Amino acid sequence: MRLEPGEGHPQPGFDFSEYLDGLYGYALILTRNSADAEDLLQETCLRALRAIGRLRSESNVKSWLFTILRNIWLNQLRHRKTTPEMVDLDADDHGANDPPDPSKDPHAIYVSELEREQVRAAIEQLPVEFREIIILREYEELSYQEIAAVLECPPGTVMSRLARARAKLRELLPTVAAAPHSPEKDKHGNNEAVA
Amino acid sequence: MLDGYSSDEFPPLNGNGTSTCGNFAVAILLYLDNELKGRELEEFRAHVDTCAHCQAQLKAEEGLSRLLQRTRPLYSMPPDVRARVSAAVAQNSAELPAADAYSQATLPSVRRLRPGIGWRLPHVRVLVPALLAIAVCLALVPNIARQVEAASYTQTAVAAHRNYLSGSLPLGIQTGSPQVVTAWFAGKVPFDFRLPAGDAVPESEPVYKLTGAALVTYKTRPAALVTYESKTGKISLLVASSDSAVVAGGDQVHFDKLTFHYRTDAGYRVITWSNHGLSYALVSSVSGPAGASCMVCHQDMTNHGRSQDPSSSK
Repeated sequence: MRLEPGEGHPQPGFDFSEYLDGLYGYALILTRNSADAEDLLQETCLRALRAIGRLRSESNVKSWLFTILRNIWLNQLRHRKTTPEMVDLDADDHGANDPPDPSKDPHAIYVSELEREQVRAAIEQLPVEFREIIILREYEELSYQEIAAVLECPPGTVMSRLARARAKLRELLPTVAAAPHSPEKDKHGNNEAVA
Repeated sequence: MLDGYSSDEFPPLNGNGTSTCGNFAVAILLYLDNELKGRELEEFRAHVDTCAHCQAQLKAEEGLSRLLQRTRPLYSMPPDVRARVSAAVAQNSAELPAADAYSQATLPSVRRLRPGIGWRLPHVRVLVPALLAIAVCLALVPNIARQVEAASYTQTAVAAHRNYLSGSLPLGIQTGSPQVVTAWFAGKVPFDFRLPAGDAVPESEPVYKLTGAALVTYKTRPAALVTYESKTGKISLLVASSDSAVVAGGDQVHFDKLTFHYRTDAGYRVITWSNHGLSYALVSSVSGPAGASCMVCHQDMTNHGRSQDPSSSK
């Protein structure tokens, strides 16, 4: 099996399995439906496989994948008839599946998961443009430039939108965000109280 | 100030009649990202020191940043979803044109390879020295990585054979014709795979008969599994590209230009070899001499013993 003459050479050793969790989370945020998110992710992977040979070596693979996913989602929205949005996010199904950190006591693990659920619930209440920018910046750690490329808007718009999104998120998480985390120590070395 | 931003997109930090506390949110983001430098940083700090509202906003933003970081990762793909996505991609990848399917893109693995960005590795202080120790061992002990790779291929072949025996590995095609199996694999695997046409002794009943084949994956790449049956047992032959499948170890027998590796794994006899860029793993429960397994391709060995390279059929 050989590349056709003139085909761009793919990046050696390209492996986007490391991006699957992030892509899945982004798909969930956009679609708010686990089945649609899975379909969206599958389609993204297939499109990426077909197009990988055209990816320039200097391209950022991660933002490229997120861009593909978003574009597919936008196309699906345009072609889909208006239907009631089905919110199907069950935190128990989509929560992080990391094994519990043995260095943490059970209470700390419980608090961590509780916080995660609260943050997920709050993000899911945001408008889609706020949801996606929170995910891309705060969880996927894309740069402002990279987010601007994904969202096809100026970097300044990304920052101002992120500021508004965070402000809205703080409104939805007034006590969780404000309270110091337990059982980590505060800067004075004391255990901090649970909110 | 970040490059590429026009002044009307980025509110000025200091108050020249154009900045208000309401525009401070973006400046806070840049401060939290350590993007403020020099004069801008000084002005920012000076403003925060004198404005209680912005002090409170900064504190609130810091708290939110800590919270968001603590909750990483926010979502994780369930294992069953990962498996379905991987399977769908693998299946579609095999059907893509050659130039697309067999670029160096690696298909998503069913297994989670490593934590994603933002995840915290537990026990880093233990993990790093452990990794260094492993690296030193690998450097000092020659071929250990190769042995590990070869064991992986053997174990995969045995697992596939077990699944075949238990009926949990469905055959993609059921046929007794090597030509049909060869044609079926065309375009499905990233290598030129051909079964020998069969050199059974004329007018004699075959010792083993071909029963079918299945498309499987090894290290996320398509591989071929061919199955055989006899009165005494079943045999499976796993074929994968030598780029991903390593053959090594075991009791080695050199024959012509090939080296056959014999071993027993989980009670099964496994013979591995590589030739022309492909790695083969023959798994069986056949008792008797090791060469008996070779008769899946070389039926004439019943009379003449080991006669030719099983994989030299081109």
